[in-house]
Amino acid sequence: MPNARVATPRARRRAIAASVLLACLFFAGGCKTSDDAAAAATQLTATAKSLTDYYSALDTILAQTDQLNAVQVVLYGIPYDDATKAQITDTRAEIQKRAALAKDLTDLAQNFAKLTGSTASTDASASAVQLETEVESLKLTKSKMGSDEQNLMKIAVGLVVTAIQEHKEREAAQGISKFTTALNGFFTKEAPDYISLNDDYRSISSSLAKSLLQNGQTDPSSFFKVALDPYGLTPEVTDSKLRKDIEKLAEAQVDQTSADLQKSQQDATDSMEKSLKQMADRIVLVANDKPMQARTAPVTLADVEKWASQFTTSTQSTATTTPAKTPASPAKTATKTK
Amino acid sequence: MQTALSELETTYFTLQAKIGMLLAACTTQGQRDALTTQYVAARSAYWSCVNKAFHDDDPAVVALTTQLDTSNKQLKTDVTQLGNINTTINNITQVVTIGASLAAKVIAL
Repeated sequence: MPNARVATPRARRRAIAASVLLACLFFAGGCKTSDDAAAAATQLTATAKSLTDYYSALDTILAQTDQLNAVQVVLYGIPYDDATKAQITDTRAEIQKRAALAKDLTDLAQNFAKLTGSTASTDASASAVQLETEVESLKLTKSKMGSDEQNLMKIAVGLVVTAIQEHKEREAAQGISKFTTALNGFFTKEAPDYISLNDDYRSISSSLAKSLLQNGQTDPSSFFKVALDPYGLTPEVTDSKLRKDIEKLAEAQVDQTSADLQKSQQDATDSMEKSLKQMADRIVLVANDKPMQARTAPVTLADVEKWASQFTTSTQSTATTTPAKTPASPAKTATKTK
Repeated sequence: MQTALSELETTYFTLQAKIGMLLAACTTQGQRDALTTQYVAARSAYWSCVNKAFHDDDPAVVALTTQLDTSNKQLKTDVTQLGNINTTINNITQVVTIGASLAAKVIAL
């Protein structure tokens, strides 16, 4: 193996990590491709996919928050200062790193599930190396609290590498279980920040929506579509009292939608935490060669998918857009509202 | 007691929810400028702290958080009742100043 002789220690470590991460679940409990290990790989895939969707939704929320701040410049004349814009951009970059980590974990878990033997596929090797890179690239939002979990994830990968070097498959599986446990802790510690990001988005969007409503800058006629559409008729609201009444209704709808958005994200976050814990607990069982009772995907993932799906379309259209362009300075006369 | 982040959120979100109404109550460009300056400062304090570690057990942070908690309660009343706009802006300025101090303390830790 000439290549192995010339490879750097880091490259060798990564190559070993790739094969380790592929093998550890399937060879947990004494070099056997157990049904439990295969089920764990499938469940890990589902959980990691939901985690990816969760972070992608947050990414969309941050992209839209950036745009909403730009709208405030036009509507109220409130400056969108460079420092705040940079903070939002930086926060978004960190969320994207977490989404990338979750995506790499998904890819890796999918490759686990495909494997039937001890031969590592090229795709799986690449996924494992990429995962290691993503863990190393994380900048922590709570350096004091989160570093423990990040260090645990790094140590876990190291344990897996060492174990495979020494042909200790069970220890390798235990390394993966430590990784998923640390990932769960990492998510839980940062969860209040994720909630806060969504709260900012809800607050600024609902405030702008109600301001536009109160100033007669919306078309309320769509409220009548439900009555008119079946008959091919188009609403045209001309009565001022009727418009005011609809606007009040619309304001209440904005409040209700904002409250629903808050609850659905809280539920999704709680469910994501539970799902990650369930997943970590199941892998611990596999790693310790104990029977795994539950083999279905964690049921709580449905809440995560439901919340994240609200931002799926927006993700496709806005996630790759550049940050909102804002005027250099707001027009001083643009702030007057009724 | 709330955490430092949640108090900064409260200041910023309270202003955010009422900013349209507050701006509409301003009668001069000077008042509007003062108000938007405070709004930008509250938003800046919030975003500056989102990515930072929070050491809620630090005595100075605890004291400032408690002070901001009290001020936030008054702020909610002020922006809801909306009496004299100059008084309201002054009260907003005091609350935002406490928030900025809290943010600076947190960032420095």
